[in-house]
Amino acid sequence: MSRSWNDMDEFEEFLDGGGIVEVDDDMPREYREAVFAFIEMHANSEYMGGLTERDWIPKTPGLRHKMSVLAKTQDEIGHGHLLYMVAADMGIKTRTEMLEDLMAGKSRFHNVFHYKAETWGDQVAIAFLVDAAALASQQAVFKNCSYGPYRRILKRIISEEGFHMRLGEDRMRRIAEGTIIQKEIFQGALDRWFWPALQLFGPDSKPDDKLLRWHIKSERNEVLRDKWVQKFVPMMHSYGFTVPAPDLAFDDETGKWDVGPIDWEPLKKTLAQGGPDSARRIGEARDNWERTAWVRNALNGVLQ
Amino acid sequence: MATYEVFLKKDGRDEYRHAGALDAANDELAMVMAREAYIRRAEGSRVWVVNREHVLEGGDDFISPNADKPHRHHDGAEVAARRKRTREAGES
Repeated sequence: MSRSWNDMDEFEEFLDGGGIVEVDDDMPREYREAVFAFIEMHANSEYMGGLTERDWIPKTPGLRHKMSVLAKTQDEIGHGHLLYMVAADMGIKTRTEMLEDLMAGKSRFHNVFHYKAETWGDQVAIAFLVDAAALASQQAVFKNCSYGPYRRILKRIISEEGFHMRLGEDRMRRIAEGTIIQKEIFQGALDRWFWPALQLFGPDSKPDDKLLRWHIKSERNEVLRDKWVQKFVPMMHSYGFTVPAPDLAFDDETGKWDVGPIDWEPLKKTLAQGGPDSARRIGEARDNWERTAWVRNALNGVLQ
Repeated sequence: MATYEVFLKKDGRDEYRHAGALDAANDELAMVMAREAYIRRAEGSRVWVVNREHVLEGGDDFISPNADKPHRHHDGAEVAARRKRTREAGES
């Protein structure tokens, strides 16, 4: 252990002064557990997101886009692995334990990966809306993250997510310039994905949010959510699509869009693994994990 | 299975920098995985992959004695002051 603190007050003073915690520091247990849980959920979400993307490799229209989907799938699974390494080094669970808990439905991943992607339009809507929401929340963590190993790995993850987001908007542009049927399919996808993407930011941050106090998050959930709304509502309009919010209103005074009241029940369901597609997704991830055991065994067997 | 640390360097003057870690069954697979996880878009032109067990690590306790050796530094303040006085005397 290289550094230690006498109590939480002293530790928080260190964090407030811009201190960066390293893996071998004797950090307070509550901090270690909270940061670990946050990184584990991020890792799980990258992994489950990668599997979502993979589902569409055979069905992606056009060779160029198929190759981009392959690259994006590899990126997401890779991000999962980078994050699992950072999380495992915190000494709470091993990488294998984290993966096994994920496959057993015992640990959380982002709400958006508890829904079914019905059409290619859904996949484009995910790349456009969801990746942007995920990127915004990652950037807010990167900005002021007090846990050094996480902050450093986020830097490379964010640079790759930028590619995904540009890819998403480009796919949307192609659909917006396409046929009436394409536009209808995509509008349907936007109608399904707008609210889950918006809920990815979570409900308003509590006043005493530990992750904010410990400089893991740098921005309150509602602030990030609002920024996303202000960016994406006009963008959807500019491409000729509508926003599925019946109470959507533009406030002339503030110059801001207001999406109206948010129903948080769907988010709560996904957090309890009870989303519309949770069971199938976790089941398929587990089947795939078991089916590919021979690959892991073969790689490990190289040693013998 | 062993844990490896990955270091990347771009050609030019930059030094090698730590990129992250990975688990691999042997050295050969560690190299392949380093390329696929950390050098996906030419983030480096050279890579060092080191088994974590082979890294010799010293912490603050080990290094700190050298942080308190003022005789290894010289701020040159008095010499600078003397030079300044000489310069000003010459100018007037």
